[in-house]
Amino acid sequence: MTNMRNILLIAAVLVALVAVPPFLGLGWQNALVNILIASLFALAFNLLSGQAGLLSFGHAAYFGMGAFATLHLMLAIEDGLSFPTPLLPLAGAAMGLLIGVVAGFFATMRSGVYFALVTLAIAELFHSLTPHLQGFFGGESGISSMRMPWQGFVFGTVLEVYYLTLFWVVLSVMALWAYTRTPFGRLTLALRDNEQRVRFLGYNAHTSKVIIFAVSAMFSGVAGGLQAISNETANYALFSSHISAQVVLQTFVGGATIFFGPVVGAVSFTLFAYLVSDLTRSWLFYQGLIFVLVMLFAPTGIGGVVQHHLRNVRRDDWLLLAGPYALAATGGVLIAGAVIYLTETVAVLFGEEYAVQIRNAEGSLPAYEMFGAWWEPFGIATWLVPVVLLAAGGAILVKSRGNILKCWEKMGREVGEGAHEPAAPGVAK
Amino acid sequence: MKKFAALAAVSTIALGAHAVQAEPLKIGIIESLSGAQTSSGRLYATAVQYGVDKINAAGGFNGEDVQVIEYDNAGGSTGAADKFKQAVADGVNIVIQGASSAIAGQITEDVRKHNLRNPGKEILFINVGAEAMELTGDKCQFYHFRFTTTAPMRVNAMTSAMKEAGDLGTRVYSINQNYSWGQDVQAAINAAAEKGGYEVVDEVLHDVNKIQDFAPFVARIKAANPDSVITGNWSNDLLLLMKATGDAGLDVTFGTAYLDQPGNIANAGETALGHYIANNYDNTAGDASFAEEYKAASGHYPLFVEPQTIFAVGALSQALEGVDFAGGDIDVSKIALALEDVTYETPVGPIAVRKEDHQTIRPVVVSRVVENARYPADDTSMGFEAVKVVPGEQAIYPVQDSCDMKRPG
Repeated sequence: MTNMRNILLIAAVLVALVAVPPFLGLGWQNALVNILIASLFALAFNLLSGQAGLLSFGHAAYFGMGAFATLHLMLAIEDGLSFPTPLLPLAGAAMGLLIGVVAGFFATMRSGVYFALVTLAIAELFHSLTPHLQGFFGGESGISSMRMPWQGFVFGTVLEVYYLTLFWVVLSVMALWAYTRTPFGRLTLALRDNEQRVRFLGYNAHTSKVIIFAVSAMFSGVAGGLQAISNETANYALFSSHISAQVVLQTFVGGATIFFGPVVGAVSFTLFAYLVSDLTRSWLFYQGLIFVLVMLFAPTGIGGVVQHHLRNVRRDDWLLLAGPYALAATGGVLIAGAVIYLTETVAVLFGEEYAVQIRNAEGSLPAYEMFGAWWEPFGIATWLVPVVLLAAGGAILVKSRGNILKCWEKMGREVGEGAHEPAAPGVAK
Repeated sequence: MKKFAALAAVSTIALGAHAVQAEPLKIGIIESLSGAQTSSGRLYATAVQYGVDKINAAGGFNGEDVQVIEYDNAGGSTGAADKFKQAVADGVNIVIQGASSAIAGQITEDVRKHNLRNPGKEILFINVGAEAMELTGDKCQFYHFRFTTTAPMRVNAMTSAMKEAGDLGTRVYSINQNYSWGQDVQAAINAAAEKGGYEVVDEVLHDVNKIQDFAPFVARIKAANPDSVITGNWSNDLLLLMKATGDAGLDVTFGTAYLDQPGNIANAGETALGHYIANNYDNTAGDASFAEEYKAASGHYPLFVEPQTIFAVGALSQALEGVDFAGGDIDVSKIALALEDVTYETPVGPIAVRKEDHQTIRPVVVSRVVENARYPADDTSMGFEAVKVVPGEQAIYPVQDSCDMKRPG
């Protein structure tokens, strides 16, 4: 039953991904390409971090190398090599696999913090070395190429790039999903849970980990290759710790313990960047805030919360929960409103434009415009708004939290222990 | 060629959806507007807005106000590529960027490809700060205009001015960051040696913004016993180098390119006195009304990269006066052709575009840090005092052989 439902859900998402984009604007099409690439990268990363329990802080290295390899193949095609453009990500996959085997061999000799540090060091190595290697990496300005037409496809529009990306991402996600169902996929989980026992069972733990690392790096390389196709350029910034960190954030916000969790994280972060980054300069602050909140109150990530609910979907208490949930959402919106209000107020009051206005007003603090209204810096209304929002939101949240807890406890009593069993890591329902 | 014909055909269909009506001229600023490099990104954005406000005050363009849209590239070229696509989606006609050569390299390539694929819907790239030689060399293209100096222009002007002031000496030390800009400066220092009558006693290329302690480098400088040190370093690499030199009690004159970055003078303190900078402009050179006018609008005297950005928008504004689309569709190629012919008068001299590579021929101002300056920097009593204004025709260098520009039509 759950299987049937999941298949229908996935089919519906796929149909939407194929049918909707032609009707969207260029901006959205491009945002979707980014979302797909980020999703694949996060899934590849999570194979290593969520499923094998090896937290890598340097996945940008394999992503970046995949991008460079793909670009070099694109350059070769530009020079007359006959190679079908749609198969370009294979270069990224091959390069990711190759680098993954070598880097993985050394990194997986250690585990835990030391593993993380080795991966970080490898990525830094790439980041500091590549600007000096003019030949392959094109110095700090990087290399660029152009997508060449193939069999009537010009690959000039964003839409064509989107479908190419969609094809590769769906294929890779299916492969990654199939991987989790193989005996080796099970061994991956076992390595995370008890490496000692795996060794005693007669498996070579190091070799297994190198293979897992290489597979993860290979799919990261595919993601990098897709980005290279989309941007038609690559430079050493692809190896920056920022990219490694971003994929960690996305994976943990989405939920590292669930197969599709990283996708949730990648989609939310990429969408957030697309929608908010040009609206306010404080968008990175909000992004960080979201990360902290998720880690504090939903350590299994957004995906974990969703999965927890899906598991209990057949219990009939949804009407009971709907009320408190709606209330909690209202409280959340009020508090979010207050935080946004305060952040933007601070941004305005300490911003350059306002500094000019103060100077022009000779020291006194003039009124400023925000959210389409005028506010006095010392006005009562100015500071009453956030206080009221915070107080009301806080009160509502505290109250609804108690109600929600009661609801779940009631459901828990009715169905026994099952309701609070932790989500089985790495295995989707 | 067949490929591009097909490309053009598809693109035309794709763009057919656009309604035929008068659209305002849209300028997109793709800068680092969040994160570590925000401060210079904001300076570019403020300066562009100032220039566009002036255009709009004079009636705008094509019957509408010129619009400015800011895009945050988050400091990286991937972010810039992404925001460029967003700018295309928003119908931007002109892209302005300056804070990084790597990002400019990305944008100029993106612009080139976009223009190949979308004939009739061209986009113009005005580069207001990226100085990599390859932008007007290997990567030179018709739709890229550079409204700032490059390494040879700065170094030639600086060495000649320092020589005249008697501060250059005959032994010059070259220390630079190990990437294209630093390498360009080093090459320029070597190239100017004969004319400047000096010997390059040693040259060093070091890691970019990674060095915390410059003492070993200062020891090397001391051992070479130079009269002056010329460096293209910026940010911490300049500050820490100068401080380490000051701490070691070494008596050399620095010739720099980025000493006027906000915060540098306050941070360096007394150590900065007597050192030189070659830049596009200085408030003490030329007519003061420009600086006063800018201060009235923005609250501070023009600093760092602002003047060159204002001049670029000024030149654009002058070019726009020469084209008229009578409220119809904007043809960016016509604007680009008009921009090629503009000679823009700045307070320090005229700026004109060289048609062969779209580098601007422009004056370079060499100034020195002095006590009790007319325009104090960073709330200190110190500031810059112009020593010499090198006119454009003397500062310019020959077109690079690698530039192969395809003109439209």
